[in-house]
Amino acid sequence: MGRIVFAGAMSHVLDPDYYQRACGDEGRRTVVACMAEIARMGERFSATRADALIVVADDHLNAFSFNAVPALCVRIGRTVPRMRQDHAEAFDAVLDHMPEQYPLHEDLANQILEQGLASGFDLAMSWEAPVDHAFLSPVNTMHGTRPIPPLVPIWVNCFVAPQPTPKRCFDFGRHIARVVAASPWNVGLIATGGLSHFPELSLPRVGETDTVFDRKLIHWMERGEHEPLQELTVGELHKTGEHEFLNWMVLIGAITPARAQVRYFGELRRINMAAVEWSLP
Amino acid sequence: MSRYAINSVLYRLKKDPEFRARFESDPRTALADADLTEAERAAFAAHDVRRINELGGYLHLVMSVPGLAAH
Repeated sequence: MGRIVFAGAMSHVLDPDYYQRACGDEGRRTVVACMAEIARMGERFSATRADALIVVADDHLNAFSFNAVPALCVRIGRTVPRMRQDHAEAFDAVLDHMPEQYPLHEDLANQILEQGLASGFDLAMSWEAPVDHAFLSPVNTMHGTRPIPPLVPIWVNCFVAPQPTPKRCFDFGRHIARVVAASPWNVGLIATGGLSHFPELSLPRVGETDTVFDRKLIHWMERGEHEPLQELTVGELHKTGEHEFLNWMVLIGAITPARAQVRYFGELRRINMAAVEWSLP
Repeated sequence: MSRYAINSVLYRLKKDPEFRARFESDPRTALADADLTEAERAAFAAHDVRRINELGGYLHLVMSVPGLAAH
């Protein structure tokens, strides 16, 4: 019988040079401190010797063009490449130094997909979509030079309206937990992105965060109060710049009613950075 | 407002270096066949990223098309 042996969530633009440019010395200090905590989380994850790592993250209009935008998509196949972008800038540039190919846990991905379709989750699937910084910044920061276990990338449409609801994401997390429990594997699970930034996806509002809303989410996660999280609306997340919390909702559904421990929370003008780990039975 | 058209152009600008080069040398000609409104076309021609975003261009694309935000 399988188990979720590690669960963590964290910001996913993890690059000191990016934050130096965006926020100066304070930006560099903040992301370096956040990355140090994520690296320690990675050490604890590696100690579990898990068979696979599920990564729930969003696409920044990189893997999927406007010919199709899946609400929830499971990456299947045997390997996944990192996104390649010529003349990469902004958050795309953080990928440049990372390994180009990653193994997938094909059987676990297939079971999440197939059992999902059989139980009411109309999941999309992809054999070809590459993964961007939302997946690879946290994974590489967690592992450093240690081997990365087979991944199961799962995309949530956090940005292109209409998005799946927080409740739907939570329920999908419950599905993932059921699949893992019925499997023979010990599995790690991370969700990435956030916390608040880019409210309303408005360029003039880049540089605003909503610390009050972030702290409200953290309060509920720390107490294991997951009902109010399920009542959040996509509109609230859009207004506060909390779009990527949809990824976290999948994780919360998978580990409910576990309580979160905040490993790092740091305020910046551009984004409030966080690293959170859950205490699992 | 044609959210699809403006984002389709942004996506091509990001992912297609040849299209991006044609846009850089002559934006109006490069976008001649695109199904854009005149307001959208003018915003692209002026490299006005704030206006492109206001017209429905997704923030992450606006910020990550090579060279677009630097104008």
